[in-house]
Amino acid sequence: MFNMFRGLVGSKSISREDMEPILDKLRDHMIAKNVATDIAGKLCESVASRLEGKVLGTFTGVASTVKATLVDALVQLLSPRRRVDILRDVIEAQQQQRPYVMVFCGVNGVGKSTNLAKICFWLVENNFKVLIAACDTFRAGAVEQLRTHSRCLNALHPPEKHGGYPVVQLYQKGYGKDAAGIAMEAINQARDCKMDVVLVDTAGRMQDNEPLMRALAKLIKVNSPDLVLFVGEALVGNEAVDQLVKFNQALADHSSQEKPHLIDGIVLTKFDTIDDKVGAAISMTYITGQPIVFVGTGQTYTDLKNLNAKAVVHALMK
Amino acid sequence: MVLADLGRKITSALRSLSNATIINKEVLDSMLKEICAALLEADVNIKLVKQLRENVRSVIDFEDMAGGLNKRRMIQSAVFKELVKLVDPGVKAYQPTKAKSNIIMFVGLQGSGKTTTCTKLAYYYQKKGWKTSLVCADTFRAGAFDQLKQNATKARIPFYGSYTEVDPVVIAQDGVEKFKNEGFEIIIVDTSGRHKQEDSLFEEMLQVSIAVSPDNIIFVMDASIGQACEAQARAFKEKVDVGAVIVTKLDGHAKGGGALSAVAATHSPIIFIGTGEHIDDFEPFKVKPFVSKLLGMGDIEGLIDK
Ligand SMILES: Nc1nc2c(ncn2[C@@H]2O[C@H](COP(=O)(O)OP(=O)(O)OP(=O)(O)O)[C@@H](O)[C@H]2O)c(=O)[nH]1
Ligand SMILES: Nc1nc2c(ncn2[C@@H]2O[C@H](COP(=O)(O)OP(=O)(O)OP(=O)(O)O)[C@@H](O)[C@H]2O)c(=O)[nH]1
Ligand SMILES: [Mg+2]
Ligand SMILES: [Mg+2]
Repeated sequence: MFNMFRGLVGSKSISREDMEPILDKLRDHMIAKNVATDIAGKLCESVASRLEGKVLGTFTGVASTVKATLVDALVQLLSPRRRVDILRDVIEAQQQQRPYVMVFCGVNGVGKSTNLAKICFWLVENNFKVLIAACDTFRAGAVEQLRTHSRCLNALHPPEKHGGYPVVQLYQKGYGKDAAGIAMEAINQARDCKMDVVLVDTAGRMQDNEPLMRALAKLIKVNSPDLVLFVGEALVGNEAVDQLVKFNQALADHSSQEKPHLIDGIVLTKFDTIDDKVGAAISMTYITGQPIVFVGTGQTYTDLKNLNAKAVVHALMK
Repeated sequence: MVLADLGRKITSALRSLSNATIINKEVLDSMLKEICAALLEADVNIKLVKQLRENVRSVIDFEDMAGGLNKRRMIQSAVFKELVKLVDPGVKAYQPTKAKSNIIMFVGLQGSGKTTTCTKLAYYYQKKGWKTSLVCADTFRAGAFDQLKQNATKARIPFYGSYTEVDPVVIAQDGVEKFKNEGFEIIIVDTSGRHKQEDSLFEEMLQVSIAVSPDNIIFVMDASIGQACEAQARAFKEKVDVGAVIVTKLDGHAKGGGALSAVAATHSPIIFIGTGEHIDDFEPFKVKPFVSKLLGMGDIEGLIDK
């Protein structure tokens, strides 16, 4: 008999105590789905303060209200306020007779170079000509990795089909050289050769490594790219927070510009390796407020997707 | 390492025990809450954290226990035991033997640090006077052979690989065969990154393993990994006989707690840690001394064995 009325609150207003056990469960649930603990806590707190004191309808339970409010907050979080429209911006740069420049940065091994190659493929499919700047001059094989990709991409789109010109060019100066300088030379060459886009690959670096972070800030400062993309893997746990905070911080601290160029967007990679543990998407967006521009879903050129906010939230709440 | 950072928090949580005049359920719960929060922040798998909490709780029976001193000691000892369990699977790692071919195969997720760590391990043994070699059985990733070749050349370690052969099984077999015949003592086989969701990649790993019959399979894990580690590690172990874990990228801010679930999931010890991109950013890892050092307790062994 009593069970029939479970969750029935009448017209009583919701208190923190009512919500506490439900929020505790939701927080643990989010942590299990790989949302950073701190952010899971903050999300719950924001739901609590939004609902506290609200009067519920006669047949609405506290649990379902709390959950629905959280779902709303999450969908909103993942729905970008600002759309990054690369194809449109490339055309705009074309009209200004200059190449559109994108820089890829992030910690070691997350998929910067591979997803740069996928984005290159996507641009080529959209009839743009792309120059890849090999600015990882540190990691063994980094240059050859990009050379292999540019060969494959040119094989997929042979020059014969594109007015006799290769659609993808590689600009490289081997190892050990200054990355910022190579990027600048690459951009100049792209302008001379009328390439539409420059994709700048950078070496992976730990967010605490001050000299390397300084070097990245310099590369961005002297080359004023159109878009700075942070590449992060969906596998990352609580570190997602520290990575993004410190990459942004370094770009701000070392730029000595009035309006430093911070991270414009995120590439979320290895999304195919995490089943429904999609929490990193939440952590990364929460920290930057920047959109997830691409999602990497595999190791081939076509494994590049847009983020589906609803689907991610659904997987998260499951 | 996770526990190194946790050391302080745990000690302070435990101190709350000494400060409390009576030790009851509330005191224990608030201490456990602190410890669990710290573990979760370090990415330790949530299931393991919940288990730890339950295990500590189950040891303590407040009804049936005498003086406060005894309770304190029991709680402390239970917490230590559980923490040690996180890093110590209780099995010994494979030790290579001199004057014979020891074949070591590396496996792991994409980008975890396998190729870099292969050379580090080879270099480690080479410096100790072993006859060491490397085989590149990654035919998938662009530039993989160049990467290993450049690393090996720099460290003057003989290597084997191919730009034209596409079958990693063939390369692995040929390379191991060649180095075996030449009397190499340590033969390390690097493989492509893979994940459990792609069957063909897992099948390929099994085939390579069958072809070279490794003496040890090392699972390489990135210290920054979160809650997805456990399922991946378990899947690797189910497919091939993982016998050891190496945690990489501990030079960063990551505490490596996520990677610890690989220890539980593979029942394998951590044998080395990676602390940078350079070839000698590499340290052997020994569980017991690590834990006792961290907790600042000389007598931890005694405490745990009770
Ligand atoms: N499953 C999966 N693997 C990926 C994805 N993106 C990249 N990878 C793999 O991750 C590994 C590392 O990729 P890279 O592109 O070399 O990473 P990086 O960030 O450039 O690495 P460094 O330059 O060494 O810092 C490779 O094996 C890629 O194939 C993805 O979306 N899904
Ligand atoms: N900071 C730091 N970087 C590391 C460490 N170990 C490896 N790396 C870097 O991590 C990135 C990926 O390393 P790889 O050795 O290519 O990883 P992998 O597992 O072979 O990658 P795939 O073959 O693509 O699966 C590279 O940039 C390495 O330099 C470490 O201990 N610390
Ligand atoms: Mg790279
Ligand atoms: Mg590799």
